[in-house]
Amino acid sequence: MTEREAGGATTGAQAEAPVVLEMRGITKAFGPVKANDNISITLHRGEILGLLGENGAGKSTLMKILYGLYKPDSGAIFIDGEEVEIHDPKDAVSRGIGMVHQHFTLIPPLTVAENIVLGAEPRKGFSLDLEGAVKATEELSERYGLVVDPRARVADLSVGVQQRVEILKTLYREARILVLDEPTAVLTPQETEDLFAVLKELVADGLSIIFITHKLGELLGISDRITIIRDGHVVATVVTAETDERELARLMVGRDVLLRVEKTETKPGEPRLAAEELVVLSNTGARAVDAVSLEVRSGEILGVAGVDGNGQTELADALAGVRYAESGRVYLDGEDVTALGSDPRQERGLAYVPEDRASKGLVQDFALYENNSLKTYDEPPFSRWGWIFPKVMRRRAAENLRAYDVRPPDPEARARSLSGGNQQKAILAREFSDDPGVIIASQPTRGVDVGAIEFIHRQLLEQRSEGKAILLISLELEEVRSLSDRIVVIYAGRIVGEVGPDATDEELGLLMAGREEKST
Amino acid sequence: MSEERREPEETRSPAFRRWMANAAGALIFPLIAILISFAIGAVIMLVTGNNPVTAFGALLRGAFGSPLAIGRTLLNATPLVFTGLAVAVAFRAGLFNIGGEGQFFIGAITAAVVGAYLGSLGVFGMVLALAACALAGFLWGAIPGFLKAYFGAHEVITTIMLNYVGIYLATYLALNPFRSEGLVPGTEAIDLTARIPFLAAGLGRANYGFVFALVAAAAVYLLLWRTKRGFEIRAVGLSPGAASYAGMGIGLNTVLALAIGGSLAALGGGEEVLGVYGKMSIPFVENIGFNGIGVALLGRNHPVGVILGAILFGGMTAGAQEMQFSTNVPLQLTDVLLAVILLLVTATKLVELIVGKRARALAGTRLEGGL
Repeated sequence: MTEREAGGATTGAQAEAPVVLEMRGITKAFGPVKANDNISITLHRGEILGLLGENGAGKSTLMKILYGLYKPDSGAIFIDGEEVEIHDPKDAVSRGIGMVHQHFTLIPPLTVAENIVLGAEPRKGFSLDLEGAVKATEELSERYGLVVDPRARVADLSVGVQQRVEILKTLYREARILVLDEPTAVLTPQETEDLFAVLKELVADGLSIIFITHKLGELLGISDRITIIRDGHVVATVVTAETDERELARLMVGRDVLLRVEKTETKPGEPRLAAEELVVLSNTGARAVDAVSLEVRSGEILGVAGVDGNGQTELADALAGVRYAESGRVYLDGEDVTALGSDPRQERGLAYVPEDRASKGLVQDFALYENNSLKTYDEPPFSRWGWIFPKVMRRRAAENLRAYDVRPPDPEARARSLSGGNQQKAILAREFSDDPGVIIASQPTRGVDVGAIEFIHRQLLEQRSEGKAILLISLELEEVRSLSDRIVVIYAGRIVGEVGPDATDEELGLLMAGREEKST
Repeated sequence: MSEERREPEETRSPAFRRWMANAAGALIFPLIAILISFAIGAVIMLVTGNNPVTAFGALLRGAFGSPLAIGRTLLNATPLVFTGLAVAVAFRAGLFNIGGEGQFFIGAITAAVVGAYLGSLGVFGMVLALAACALAGFLWGAIPGFLKAYFGAHEVITTIMLNYVGIYLATYLALNPFRSEGLVPGTEAIDLTARIPFLAAGLGRANYGFVFALVAAAAVYLLLWRTKRGFEIRAVGLSPGAASYAGMGIGLNTVLALAIGGSLAALGGGEEVLGVYGKMSIPFVENIGFNGIGVALLGRNHPVGVILGAILFGGMTAGAQEMQFSTNVPLQLTDVLLAVILLLVTATKLVELIVGKRARALAGTRLEGGL
């Protein structure tokens, strides 16, 4: 351990600021696994502390302990220097801790003001004082520069504004310590910038913020100090001004990581997957994909960028044959496959990595060898005359799991027992090992640790250099940009523009927010 | 590539060891449950002034003490294997088949009618009667499957309701169109040559039905773990989302799993008619279908477990009479014991509380997937 421990002795403005929160020696075990092992963090007044770690490193556990959702096995929490015991979220709120979860806890049909006061409503006699709620909201939003319309229905607001409402909710409850869990996951680049501006305003007002993320770049722009957690331990606390992306990645993963994979030149060939005026309905019957046409050629990666929920899921499903297209056509190697289901498309060489790894990509309680044959169980050599041959499945699975570095490479292990990254590798092993011609990868690295991300990116590029046609759908701009040869942006179910991989955040952001390209 | 070739030899013995560990893990929980329930039974006996050692001795003797006792146990266990399998197959597809009772009655009346008409064909007639049973049960079981797959009707509700339909339909048929001239209300007696033969001289009335039940259990095992259909049924049961992403039809597998279950429970009814009673008399044996749920629960929805569970149920019933005969303990106590066993098997947390967390670790994570 050569990492420097800079936690206590920070330089700069917040060094003199009083410590508002200290978690000392927090340990929490789930069965034999120590999710938090003697973790200590300190948060000063007016500071933004980044909490960085891979998925499963123990960040969420620590914050759930702070919010009273888990009881620590040992360790103590101090607020303003006074030891406290936090039994439940109510306790946490009353001590000035506010949490903005990754998934919002708003009630869509209610107005902004109603949502904000929910559970702590101002009353007039026995009745709800709605006017009071509106006034309180207006005051708050003025004081912190968080612009919202108190009378707007939450359902009508963009995700960025909804997040603002979440923050206001905690401020209404007089939070002094704000915990944000992966707050930028659902935002466009512009919305992210707005959020950062708001956060800076808040700390200037004396609030303290814990910012949880696994994205390195973000923290450099916004935080004062960063505590890095790995495998339940604090590996280091660094001053943001004195560090860089490379160091953070190394601390987070424990080894040097290639942040940007090298891309070789390829020459795109024949179009292999194409959609023509494709219309797909969502589960609720809305036109989730609205007349999308696109073409993926062999040897290229076509990236689809966009904010979550703009039709990406439905587009991928319809191309893979999992969901029926309302109208329009899908072509695979020139053949019209619109009427075919997922099974015949797979037999024609289409591989699909669905975005919902846990419930769509794998049967969690199947052994890995069964999952490895989930799509080919009905084809020789795994099957003949209606019988299946588990031995053959096991042998093939053992080969695939090794080739794709799945840990453990044990064909008998349940999928459930694997980490997110290894589950995803197991899916890649299944989808790629059959030498498919076309690959649809939907958010292949969501919730996957940095080490596995690097591996998955390499695999995608390797498939590309082998001449496969790859459609990459991702919410991570950086990912789309570093892997794709061309990028289309999807907004409200329509392709609103196409750019090259060297497009700026600005350009992409505007498209992702629905401004159509003007230049073409 | 060349390195991975060594795989087969390497995997075999760990796979076998894992299988043994799984089996041991699956057995340990029911065993603990049985021990606890017997302890509770002992307390009840002591409180009511009986000697538990004598009583349990009699219970054991009545169940396994002599060839005749073993025969009685097997005779009791046979239909339970069928109705237990009926629940297990559906459960593997993620469905609760509570319709075993009705399916059992449908099977019984089918066997009784076909057996009575084709009895002159001898063994051939018996085979035809059983085949007719399986078919009738298949169609009967498919009804809730269709209702679920195409109309979204929950199978628990429909199978429960169809129990009444099945029981009363079978009763009506036995008492009206197919009623015999005899004194005992019910269908015509089936020709002796068309009945399921007895197993062996010493085993009392235990018949080849038990062998058929073992064959059925083996068939269910092969179906679930060695066929494409079984692979799909299990995938659908564990994760409908992943199954449909992999291109498997949820509806078809739902219908098939319930239909196969129906045909197994119906075979249980057929076996009772062709092997034990020789006809369907009214009132007919009751609760075999419902007890199948308990048997499947106890057997963790695995064919081997179902056989063991059925033998436990069968043995308890067989031993109860001996117990009542030689002590003052009423035979209903065995119902209490079985109920406690089931309670403990389902309420895993309760057992955890009693014997500590280690038991759960031993039994493995699959425990969570119980009913």
